[in-house]
Amino acid sequence: MWKEIREREFGKLRPNLFTSSVSKHRLSSIQLSNSKEIISSHRASINSLQVDLTEGRYLLAGASDATVAVYDVQRASDYEGGGLIAKHKSVLLINKQHEHGHKYPVSSAIWYPIDTGLFITGSYDHHINVWDTNTTQVVMNFKMPGKVYRTAMSSLARSHMLIAAGTEDVQVRLCDIASGAFSHTLSGHRDGVMSLEWSTSSEWVLITGGCDGAIRFWDIRRAGCFRVLDQSHSQFGRRPPLLVRPSTNKKSSSAGQSSCAKVRAPHKKLNGNALKSQVKTAKQRLHPGMISSLDRATGHYGVITGLKVTDDGMYLLSAGSDSRLRLWDIESGCNTLVNFETTRLQSSKSIQMALSQDSALAFVPCMTTAKAFDMWSGQTRWTFRGHYENINCCWYNALDQELYTAGNDRQILVWSPSKLNFDEVDEWRNGQAAVTDQDNWSD
Amino acid sequence: MEMEEDMEKLVVVGLIEKATNSTAAEVDPRLLKAIKSVVRFSESELRYATQTLMSLMKRDHSQVRYLSLLIIDELFMRSKLFRTLLVENLDLLLSLSVGFRRNHPLPAPASVATAMRSKAIEFLEKWNESFGIQYRQLRLGYDYLKNNLRFQFPNLQANAARIQQERRTREMRTKEILLKKFEFLRANISSIKEEIQVTIDEIVECLDILVKKDEDISLALDDEEMEEFRNAELRQIRHDSLREGEKVHENSENEVVFDALREMYKVLVTKHLAAIQEWTSVLIRVEVEDNSFKNSTLKDLIDIKNLIHMTKRKCEELGCDLSKIANSEEEDMWEDGTVEISEKGKSALICSKSNDHSATTSNDVRDSRCNNNLSNGNKKKNTDNSGSELNPLRSKLFAEAPVLNWGSSMDNWGSNRDVLANQRGLDLDSHWGRVDYDAVIPSEKIAELNVHASVYKEDPVEIQPCRAPLRNGGLCQRRDLKICPFHGLIISRDDDGKPIHQSPLERETSSPQNRTEDSTPEMDNATAEQLLKQAVKNVRERERVETKMKDSDKRALKRAKLAKVREHNESVMRDAALATTWRSAHIGEGIEIGNESRSSAKAKKQTLSSMLKKKGTVKDRLSRRLLNSRAC
Repeated sequence: MWKEIREREFGKLRPNLFTSSVSKHRLSSIQLSNSKEIISSHRASINSLQVDLTEGRYLLAGASDATVAVYDVQRASDYEGGGLIAKHKSVLLINKQHEHGHKYPVSSAIWYPIDTGLFITGSYDHHINVWDTNTTQVVMNFKMPGKVYRTAMSSLARSHMLIAAGTEDVQVRLCDIASGAFSHTLSGHRDGVMSLEWSTSSEWVLITGGCDGAIRFWDIRRAGCFRVLDQSHSQFGRRPPLLVRPSTNKKSSSAGQSSCAKVRAPHKKLNGNALKSQVKTAKQRLHPGMISSLDRATGHYGVITGLKVTDDGMYLLSAGSDSRLRLWDIESGCNTLVNFETTRLQSSKSIQMALSQDSALAFVPCMTTAKAFDMWSGQTRWTFRGHYENINCCWYNALDQELYTAGNDRQILVWSPSKLNFDEVDEWRNGQAAVTDQDNWSD
Repeated sequence: MEMEEDMEKLVVVGLIEKATNSTAAEVDPRLLKAIKSVVRFSESELRYATQTLMSLMKRDHSQVRYLSLLIIDELFMRSKLFRTLLVENLDLLLSLSVGFRRNHPLPAPASVATAMRSKAIEFLEKWNESFGIQYRQLRLGYDYLKNNLRFQFPNLQANAARIQQERRTREMRTKEILLKKFEFLRANISSIKEEIQVTIDEIVECLDILVKKDEDISLALDDEEMEEFRNAELRQIRHDSLREGEKVHENSENEVVFDALREMYKVLVTKHLAAIQEWTSVLIRVEVEDNSFKNSTLKDLIDIKNLIHMTKRKCEELGCDLSKIANSEEEDMWEDGTVEISEKGKSALICSKSNDHSATTSNDVRDSRCNNNLSNGNKKKNTDNSGSELNPLRSKLFAEAPVLNWGSSMDNWGSNRDVLANQRGLDLDSHWGRVDYDAVIPSEKIAELNVHASVYKEDPVEIQPCRAPLRNGGLCQRRDLKICPFHGLIISRDDDGKPIHQSPLERETSSPQNRTEDSTPEMDNATAEQLLKQAVKNVRERERVETKMKDSDKRALKRAKLAKVREHNESVMRDAALATTWRSAHIGEGIEIGNESRSSAKAKKQTLSSMLKKKGTVKDRLSRRLLNSRAC
């Protein structure tokens, strides 16, 4: 540790490498935190967790009892056990008694990506509310055609303020905060949309996963979806092979060549089109609606319950009600065939997955446990046991290397790195409290 | 090295398995001690123990789980490493021991399962109390069971704390009250003392007055006749009698003094003595900084108490039974109803006591009154007597007249006057309009209205006991009105329970030839009917018995069949259990040795698998025996 610091001081080690190595080291010792406890104010299952993207300090949680709460994860509200246990009470709580509060379960609660002045909640009562954090008043309200399953805002959008909403309805709607109206209606799914994500590389690209098992890519500047992921369309390894290889997929055996050639094309959008053109012999520009055979491709058997894009925007992790996790290469649109050792995934509710900072680890709620998978090998690194009922959502706080999980047992658990060696002061303080926790052999 | 480790592993694993393979409600303390001592000195042992215990918890038998849980608790309270290993899988442990997951209920012996659940909850609470602060998992589990699943925790600690708290507050309150009393005492001690002193002084004065009057006579007597009684015994008797004589008797002269004395005595005993006692207890219990006042006051109080006792004794020595009088006076005060009687009694007592009748006026008045009363009573009696003497006819009528309960109908008994309808009770001036004051209810109407109603009263009937002879030699003591459910009609029987005289019907049935001879035709009709009935009854009876027999036969058959099935099931289950349980080979051999020794083998050892088996009821056993006998 000290050696690394000295090396950084001497300039042998680059600051970002140093940070990443420290955070990686900390992440490797992550476990259920005894010293940090979030006092959940919810009386029903928690469906959504998000730490704000600006400060990394305020945890927003939405629960089935129509409550939304904000917790300060850095400053504890009070301590217990001689300062051993820090308790974080909610700094803000909105429940049914609030005049504009939701009537039915809150399925999704997200921060406005630019600052913590706004947050957005979607609920089963068909409404999406935009809240002012400081006054806890609804500043905008969108009435949706059905239950809202998931909402998303692009974290890198500079030219739009759109809330993408997946609902019971087959159409995905984009709600514009600037105008207070629906700006887009994206139709293509044949069933409700349970999960959706904005691309982390382009502010115009939206990825949605529906109950029909399809994962669709949308460019919001154009009509229609431009890609549907096909689980049978796969590649070995992280990147598409440079050489032509006989693919396991019989459909694309002849098309493999062209797709590979096109993969290297710089424009992603073009690439997408190229993918579709592989089916058509004619070189005509394909209508975004695409032909039906391609349009019917599925990413999973069953419902797509969760989607997560890596930070670099190159890969997409998807979870389905068929209890599979799939890692997709976004650029080629291929299933990378990483075998994740999942046991079972929740199938009735959408789950919220999390990725570590450098996308090396994926945190996935697997029924009552959360598992950390190695992203590239699919092996289970750790299993987090602590919840007594199904986990619905997890969030990784890259700033503190902490993982937050919440589920049907109403608890929000904090998983944090165990204390490092140089935290001697802390150790000292804990030492006194730990006296009670000693071997006690009376005989 | 590895070999050695394997050996060690075997030690602790074997110990644990041995400890859990028992049907007892407790872990064998020696085995437990052995496990603890083995585990204490070796981490690897502890790890193995944890693994073994967790795998035992997964066993599909509540008894094994229960014993494992007990061992887990023992180790959990002692070893830190064990705790850290265990809390990793706490949710699993809880679901296995509490069984809160619906799809994983607790396994078979239900009684053990419930015991285990309560025990597990208790343990969780204990663990949470002592180690919850170090282990988030414990807190989580406790919280989950308590708040989400709403399990009732025994809450031992909290209860104890609450009781402690209550006791403390009560003590505080009593202390406060004591302190207040003490302050009051400190303020008022002098006045209290004075009051008591005054009373005592008065008593002493009274006593002085009484004693002085008698002293001269008794002393004189003493001096004169001292020499005559030489004998010690005689002298003793003499002395006693003298002392008796010394006792001042109440008479008309000193009555006033006695009254005052009595009053004072009462005040002294009931008020002052009790007060002094209370104050003393207050002083003893109270806790104050300066003990000087407390001690001095206490001393004073004790002195006063002694003084009071002395005075009391003096009063009692004086001979007048003051305490009794005080009591009677108290009665007078509270029981108004008895005042007259007691006063009467007293007056009579006084009358007899006082030698000369020239007493005070009050006495006279009382006497006269009591005399009056007496004479009144006598007069009444006399009138009655005289009436009976005067009118023999009337007395005769009295003797045979029925006794009627009093009722409103008695008002107008025998009168045949018309009654004015509007001339009784309130005179309301034409409240509802004009009133006809001369309206009359004719006498026959009155008579109609006054029909005497009387409630039928049943004469108490003594229900005779059945007295049919019982098998154990006694007589049936059931009391039924007519028919004993066990012995039929209740008839009069002699001391042995034999019927004294048979009913005519029975006699007839027993001797039909007699009947034909001496029966008259009229009789015949009646008896024929009876006979018919009897015959029908007999036939019915026989039928019933037959059906019963058949039923019982059928039941026996069924039972036999069931027993067969059960035996088969048992053997299958035994096989299955043998395949899973420890010690299986041993029991299997026992069974295979011979069928005749099976019962003894069964009786020999109660095993875990036997706990799972259904216990045979008495019926089963009987049927089995029946089956066996048939087979023979």
